[in-house]
Amino acid sequence: MSVSAVIFLTLVLGFLMGKDWNKRAQTIMKARLKGAQTGRNLLKKKSDALTLRFRQILKKIIETKMLMGEVMREAAFSLAEAKFTAGDFSTTVIQNVNKAQVKIRAKKDNVAGVTLPVFEHYHEGTDSYELTGLARGGEQLAKLKRNYAKAVELLVELASLQTSFVTLDEAIKITNRRVNAIEHVIIPRIERTLAYIITELDEREREEFYRLKKIQEKKKILKEKSEKDLEQRRAAGEVMEPANLLAEEKDEDLLFE
Amino acid sequence: MLEGAEFYFNVDHGYLEGLVRGCKASLLTQQDYLNLVQCETLEDVKIHLQTTDYGNFLANQTNPLTVSKIDTEMRKKLCREFEYFRNHSLEPLSTFFTYMTCSYMIDNVILLMNGALQKKPVKEILAKCHPLGRFTEMEAVNIAETPSDLFKAVLVETPLAPFFQDCMSENTLDELNIELLRNKLYKSYLEAFYKFCKNHGDVTAEIMCPILEFEADRRAFIITLNSFGTELSKDDRETLYPTCGKLYPEGLRLLAQAEDFDQMRRVADHYGVYKPLFEAVGDGSGGKTLEDVFYEREVQMNVLAFNRQFHYGVFYAYTKLKEQEMRNIVWIAECISQRHRTKINSYIPIL
Repeated sequence: MSVSAVIFLTLVLGFLMGKDWNKRAQTIMKARLKGAQTGRNLLKKKSDALTLRFRQILKKIIETKMLMGEVMREAAFSLAEAKFTAGDFSTTVIQNVNKAQVKIRAKKDNVAGVTLPVFEHYHEGTDSYELTGLARGGEQLAKLKRNYAKAVELLVELASLQTSFVTLDEAIKITNRRVNAIEHVIIPRIERTLAYIITELDEREREEFYRLKKIQEKKKILKEKSEKDLEQRRAAGEVMEPANLLAEEKDEDLLFE
Repeated sequence: MLEGAEFYFNVDHGYLEGLVRGCKASLLTQQDYLNLVQCETLEDVKIHLQTTDYGNFLANQTNPLTVSKIDTEMRKKLCREFEYFRNHSLEPLSTFFTYMTCSYMIDNVILLMNGALQKKPVKEILAKCHPLGRFTEMEAVNIAETPSDLFKAVLVETPLAPFFQDCMSENTLDELNIELLRNKLYKSYLEAFYKFCKNHGDVTAEIMCPILEFEADRRAFIITLNSFGTELSKDDRETLYPTCGKLYPEGLRLLAQAEDFDQMRRVADHYGVYKPLFEAVGDGSGGKTLEDVFYEREVQMNVLAFNRQFHYGVFYAYTKLKEQEMRNIVWIAECISQRHRTKINSYIPIL
């Protein structure tokens, strides 16, 4: 319900039904405030967990990228070495490509409710380039294959890390937005409504009190007036005192003493 | 053949021998290599090469200069020189030249066969063929469906036909692994070349036969080394060894049984020529590999070929030395462009 509607309703209903409804509204508002605060704490915890994981991944990405630079450099150099010894084998390699030897499986990892994709590589099939460079440069070609295989594995890892990074970033932004919204908009609103209800209650109480006081005053004035009248009449001797049962010395009803 | 080539060699081949010696004199020297090693960028390399016999061969290249452009231009230059020699040659030198181009033709044919099997467009593959191995029937390759068709229609006309017939019957052509086919063809080619040189006799045989023997043995060693840990069986391996080297027949049989590098080394120890080579091989990543050692020996033998006159070996030696020089320049250029200068001095110097 929007705030203004709440206030309007409390006024109207309070007016119609008296204090009870206000008290009820107050308890409802208190419950809502509690709920909002708990929600905010939970979301803050989620955001903290995500941020922690985020920082870890960031560190890992930096490490892996540096390592990547080194490995790629090494691999490119071993390609040059292999070309030196074995001649130009690039066309042979390109011609004989059919199926991929290294394949990737995607798995899911869960961090504080956010699913992150994780890639893992696996080998399939045999090396169809075993006999390339049989006559020249086989050693260099084997080294080249190893270096590039390492580079591919590193690339797969880097891809995993980067997708997790992006996903986590999104999730953290959303969570933080929600936390901020609750903290700076919802809770103050509820608190203000609550404060208003309390002031309303106070005012009604004061009104009651004032009313009561006024009525008491009026009653007192009336009483004084009637007493004065009574005094006057007593002084004039018109008033008959009713018999005082306790003060009597002689009881009329007793016939025989 | 009559001995005493000095009497009549110059009649037919004197001009070309003079020309090839002139070309050999303009190969890069140690000083040139030192200059190249100190270059910082590929532009510096281009400037240095302008002072050598290469001249302005990179003058028409657009930026940026890459190593592959340098490689292509150098290869074009070598082809021009080779074609010039070939066009001006007479028999039997022209047959010698044909034999020399056979090794490139084998590579090209394997490439074409592969491409035809996978239905790739012929133009693409032709662009990647080695120019020295060009033969006239190359464009006709795409009419064949299977390798045996290819053989019957196209390859029968080329000088490679006898090598194919040596290896196998037409039926087995289909199932054979491409690499095994390549190596088998090369084995027959080497043996045919060796026989040709031996029959020619004279100084040519004296110079060329040791070179070809070394090539055969080197192939045997390298094939053995590279087949450790692969699925190549020992019998298959034995069929790939060329038999025209010093290792034939006992050494080859021993090599076929070898299981690792040390056993190979023990086989080599029986031969006085190969023992010091194997001793020069370093362990692990620091020292030279077996291939480096073999390259150095090959360069040595090729340089020594120029000490005798009146033989065809100078042409073979010149082509091989020029190729090694190209590989050296490409290696230095790669090291420079990748900024990985630790191994820049591992080129093979041609002294």
